[in-house]
Amino acid sequence: MNESIVAPQGVEDLVADERQRSAERAQRADNRRRILQNAGIGIPFLLVLVAGFVAVPNFASSSNVANMLVNAAILAIVGYGMTLVIAVRGIDLSVGSAQALAACIAAATVNAWGPLAGVVAGIGVGALLGLFNGLVVTQLRVPGFIATLATMSVFRGAVLLFTGGAPIMIASTAFKSAATAKFLAIPVPFWIAAVIGAAAVFALSSMRFGKHVVAVGGSPESAVDSGIKVKRIELLAYLIAGAAAGTAGVLLASQLGVVNGSISAGLELQAIAIVVLGGTSMAGGQPRIAGTFVAALLLSMINSGLNLLNVPSFYQYVALGVLLIFALSVDGAQRAAVSRMMKGSK
Amino acid sequence: MQAEDVKNREGTHVDPGNASRWRDQVLPLISRQYLIAILIVLSIAVGAAKPVFWGSGNISNVLFQASFVGLAACGMTLLIAGGLLDLSVGGVIAVSSIAVATALPYGTVGSAIGLALLIGAVLGLVNGLLVTFVRIPPFIATLGTLYLFLGLAFIWTGGKVIGLSSKNYRALTTGDILGVPTPFVVLVIVAVLSYLLLWRTYFGRTVRAFGSNERAASLAGLPVKRAKVLVFVFAGISFALAGAFMAGRLASAEGNMAMGFEMDVIAAVVVGGTALRGGRGTLLGTVVGALLFAVLANALNLLGVASYWQYVLTGAVLIAAIAVGARRASAAEVRGAG
Repeated sequence: MNESIVAPQGVEDLVADERQRSAERAQRADNRRRILQNAGIGIPFLLVLVAGFVAVPNFASSSNVANMLVNAAILAIVGYGMTLVIAVRGIDLSVGSAQALAACIAAATVNAWGPLAGVVAGIGVGALLGLFNGLVVTQLRVPGFIATLATMSVFRGAVLLFTGGAPIMIASTAFKSAATAKFLAIPVPFWIAAVIGAAAVFALSSMRFGKHVVAVGGSPESAVDSGIKVKRIELLAYLIAGAAAGTAGVLLASQLGVVNGSISAGLELQAIAIVVLGGTSMAGGQPRIAGTFVAALLLSMINSGLNLLNVPSFYQYVALGVLLIFALSVDGAQRAAVSRMMKGSK
Repeated sequence: MQAEDVKNREGTHVDPGNASRWRDQVLPLISRQYLIAILIVLSIAVGAAKPVFWGSGNISNVLFQASFVGLAACGMTLLIAGGLLDLSVGGVIAVSSIAVATALPYGTVGSAIGLALLIGAVLGLVNGLLVTFVRIPPFIATLGTLYLFLGLAFIWTGGKVIGLSSKNYRALTTGDILGVPTPFVVLVIVAVLSYLLLWRTYFGRTVRAFGSNERAASLAGLPVKRAKVLVFVFAGISFALAGAFMAGRLASAEGNMAMGFEMDVIAAVVVGGTALRGGRGTLLGTVVGALLFAVLANALNLLGVASYWQYVLTGAVLIAAIAVGARRASAAEVRGAG
C-alpha cells in the first residue's frame, strides 16, 4: 500500500538495491558451494594419491597404474549415468544387475556373431533395461529407489537364468584385448571414459537436454510450469543410465574375458558413492560429471591400494560404506551452508 | 485387528445411515482383505497341483520361511509407516546371528538371544542417528550401512561359516508349540505388539504423524527426532530377532546368510498393503504378505521351477503392488494421508 504513495524513484532504487544484494548473496553461496565441493573430492584424492605413492609398494608400477585406469574408466562410465539420474532427483539401484546382464549377453553375442555385434548387443541391452526402469518410474509412478530395487532383483534373476549359473568364456582375442590395448600409453577404456565424459559435460552445459535436466532436478514443479516434458527427461535419464551400465558392462566383459551371472553385485553403492563424492547433490539439479570422473579414480586407487596391501576384501566394503557416508555428510553440510547464505545470515 | 483399525480411522466421520456405513466400513474392509482370499486360493491351487504341499512337513517349512521374513517385516512396517526405509536388513541379520553363534559356547541361550537383540538395537541406532541427525536420506544411508555391517560380519568371521552346535538353542528356535513352529508363534506375538505400538501408543501416533507429514508433526511439537531414532532401533531389534531364528534353523551363521533379504521384507510389507508414502501401516497385511511370498516360493520349488525365477517374481510382484497402490492413492488423494 505505502509503496504506491512514496515516490516511485525511491522504490525502484530499493528494489534494485535488494536485487543486487540478493544476487551477491547467491554469488557468494555459489562460491562457497564450489569450494566445499572441490574440497570434498580434492582433499581425499590428494591424500589417497600421496598415501598410495608413499605407503603402498608397486602402487606406481606401470601395470598397476594401467589397471587402476581401466577400473576407474568402467566405474566412471556407470557413474555418468547415475549422475544424470541423481540430477533429476532419481536413483538407479539396478545398475549392477543391468551391467551383469549386458556383459553376459554381450559375451554370448561375441561368441556367436563376433565382437562388433557383441558391443552393440551389450549397449542395446543396457539401454532397454534403462528404458524399462524409466517406464516403471514415469508411467507406473513407482518411486525410483524402490522401482530400481525391484528391477535389481528382476535383472539379477534374468542374468542367472540366461547363464544358467555357469560362466561364459569369451573366445575372441580381439574383443578381449580391447580393454588392455593402449593408445598414447593410456588404456583405451580410459580414453573412452574421457570422451564420453567430455560429451556428457557438453550435453549438460550447452545443450537443451542438459538445461532441462538441471531445471527438472532443481524444481520439478517449475519445470512442469515452464512447459518442459518432465517425464520424458526422467525417462531419458534412466535410459541413458542403463545404456551407460551396458557400455561399462561391455568393457568389463572385455577386461575379464570370463563373465558369470553374479558379477557387479554391489556396483550401485560404488556408483552412488562416486557421484555424491564428486559433488553432485542428492537434492538434484547439480550434475557434476568431472567430479564423478575424479571420484571414480579415487575409488579405484583406494581399492587397488587395499588389494596391494593384502587387506582382506571385506575391509573394502567397510571403506566404501564409510566413504559414502562421508560424501553424504559433505553434501548435507554444503546444502546447509548454501541455504544459510541464501537466507542472508552468516 | 483390522476391523478396529478401519473403525479407528473412519470413526471420526462415520454417518449413522445404513448405506453409508456399508460404504464407509464394510466395503473397505472387504477390499482390504482381498489378500487373504488370494492367499487361500493360491494355497488351494498349489495343493491341487501338488498334494505334497499340504504335508505337515511342508506346511511347517512354509511357516518357518514366512516367520523369518515376517519378523523383520514387522519392524519394516513401522519404518514405512513413518515414511522411512531400511535396506540394511541383511547386514543386521548377519551381524546379530554371528554374535549368537559366537556367544553360545560361553553363555546361556537367553543371554545369546539378548546379545543379538542388543546388537540389533545398536545397529538400528546407528541407522537412526545417520538419518535423523546427519540427515542422509534413509534408503541411501542404510544402503551404506548395509555394506558397513556386512563388512563387519565378514571381518568378524574371517569369511568363514560359524557352526551353531548348542542343542538347547536349536530345540528352542526350531521346535513347535502345539504343532505350530515357535518362530511363527513369536511372529504372531511380535505382530500384535507392533500393532499396539503403532496404533495405541503416543509413540506410534508420532510415527504415523511424521510419516504422513513431517513438517506438520514437528510444528505440532511432537518429538519427531526421538521417535525417528527409536523406530529405527525397534526395527533393528526385529531384524535381529529374525536373525536369531534363522541362525537356529540353519544351525550356522555367516556374512552372506541374508543377502538380498531386504527385498523380500519390503515386498512383504508393501504387498501387505502398507503404502510407501507413509502415515499408516497394517501389521495383519504384513503377516499375510509374508505368508503369501512363502507359499509362492514353496510352490515354485515344488513345481521344479529354477530358483532364479524367484528373484524375477519377487521384483515383479513388488512393482505391481506399488503401481496398483499408486493408482489407488491418487484416487483417494483428497482425503489426506490417513
